[in-house]
Amino acid sequence: MDILLQNVVSGLETGALYALAALGLVLIFRTSDVINFAQGDIAMFNAFVAYRIFEKAVPYWAAVAGALVVAAVVGWIVERVFLRPAVRANIISKVIITMGVLMIIQGLAVLFFGTEDYYMRKAIEGSNWDIGGLILQPNALFIIGLILAIVFGFNYLVNKTKLGIAIRTTAENEHTARLMGIPVGKVYSISWMIATGLGALAGILVAPKTQISITMMADIHLKSFIAAVVGGFSSFLGPVAGGFIIGVADNLVGYYLSLDWKTVIVFGILIIMLVVKPAGLFGTQLRKKV
Amino acid sequence: MRKLDKRIWYILIGLAIIAFAWLSPVKKSTLILLTSVGVYGIAAIGYNILLGYSGQISLGHAAFIGLGAYVSAYVTHDMGLPFWVGVLAAALIPILLGLLLGGVALRLEGHYLAIATLGFGVAIQQTFKVLTGFTNGFAGKIAPTATILGLKLKSGAPYFTLTVVVVVVAAILAHNLIHSKTGRALIAMRDAEHAAQAMGINVVKYKLIAFSVSAAYAGVAGALYMHMVKYTQPDVWGMVLSVNLLAMVVIGGLTSIGGSILGAAVITLLPHVALEIPLLKDINSSSIILTGLVIVMTIRFLPGGVVRLGPWLLSKLSKPGASQPKEVA
Repeated sequence: MDILLQNVVSGLETGALYALAALGLVLIFRTSDVINFAQGDIAMFNAFVAYRIFEKAVPYWAAVAGALVVAAVVGWIVERVFLRPAVRANIISKVIITMGVLMIIQGLAVLFFGTEDYYMRKAIEGSNWDIGGLILQPNALFIIGLILAIVFGFNYLVNKTKLGIAIRTTAENEHTARLMGIPVGKVYSISWMIATGLGALAGILVAPKTQISITMMADIHLKSFIAAVVGGFSSFLGPVAGGFIIGVADNLVGYYLSLDWKTVIVFGILIIMLVVKPAGLFGTQLRKKV
Repeated sequence: MRKLDKRIWYILIGLAIIAFAWLSPVKKSTLILLTSVGVYGIAAIGYNILLGYSGQISLGHAAFIGLGAYVSAYVTHDMGLPFWVGVLAAALIPILLGLLLGGVALRLEGHYLAIATLGFGVAIQQTFKVLTGFTNGFAGKIAPTATILGLKLKSGAPYFTLTVVVVVVAAILAHNLIHSKTGRALIAMRDAEHAAQAMGINVVKYKLIAFSVSAAYAGVAGALYMHMVKYTQPDVWGMVLSVNLLAMVVIGGLTSIGGSILGAAVITLLPHVALEIPLLKDINSSSIILTGLVIVMTIRFLPGGVVRLGPWLLSKLSKPGASQPKEVA
């Protein structure tokens, strides 16, 4: 029972990071109607930025803040330069563009930061707590707490503020939003800036586990897709739930079934999920008009 | 004068390239590089049938090329069967996997298909890593030199000749497929799935055909790769290759057989060309940045791909403000 609980707890920690990454993915999807396949690499790039600032003996939190600013700028540039001109292109063209962006960002990361791994400290350093045999890391609790706070803050933003209403309207129907006087272009920009910021935060928080490296986001990026699919692309809270579910499931499959076959099983679940319930557990089916 | 059939052109160009390889003093290393252009060209033709003609995206196609490579290595090295049996098996076994992915694609489109195929690619690559009995895992798998009719095809001109022959055959078969009833059905399905269905086109059947044909092409490409390099390990068959395949077809030209090969040449040769350019030489990631930029610019300004650059420029020059080539995919 203790082992099960331990697995669940550590699953929640990674799940929180998947949730954060998935939230950025879904935000871009809902507003710009494109799945940003470059999301993981943009996050990796910004995690490197955080490390480079931190390296200069800047306090950790100032480095994080600096990286978030850079992340927002990168998000703005990518949307404005690469995606905005193709706003009316078909879905496959947009997917291909994000693939091009992925290659550019990855190449730039190698150019600026090299291919070596670097160690980044945890957000909260401190010795583990032992509660009746259950090991709790302060950092893990902090990550889960922070992400829950972000999710609720985000939910408030989307549901209660004017910006949130603009985002939801644009997501619903870009053309109507325009007619209603919503500055759609601004909504695109802001959504991308928030989304790349969320991605960067996920990258910085996972760094103590993966090290800062070119491939650091590969796993989170792929898992964030699964989280979004499981939770459904049509809501903002679904993917967050999906992230936690995948985090826990990943750990349990790895422990109880097979560590070697974990990836295959989890992606098998993804494909089955897509086929059986493409709208996700919490989403609503969007019917296409012919 | 009647326009010459494209298939005749494929054969003539193929013969000219083979003659060039044997007669001119071209370096062996160059020929090996050109062989890999041919190998990826085959995979790209198959991928173009899927993406260009049928409008189905796949971000996990490296899995099929890898499967082809491993199957061929298993058949020729582990089982000791002839080279051609290996290639045949490498064409047929990926079809089974292609049918599986095609089955998934029946229920999905656009974004969801992209995600599913991405996951599929990752899962298959992971399978290559852990299924050590078949793939030998990270220790790597080896394959013997290709032999046809008792003739050992060494790398350089002999193996290049074989590759060109296979490319020409692949191009002709693709040409025939596209200009058949099946090809027209695929194109109709791409342009308007529901309308095609209403016209009596069995979408289930044609989606499965599109996926299995492209899987077979990828498998053959994998087999030729395997006997060219004679060694492989699972890291080769990942996302990077899948994305490169997409880049080849988009940059070369969607819905163009010649464009597929041209795209394969661009992507394969770009890293080598970049090494020759003074400013780019010192940047070890210049080719990936360039590839990304070229992909984005192609989609934006030349949706027909590089292969249609000539006709597009001509139409621009003769009629200023003439419409762009139709957007594809």
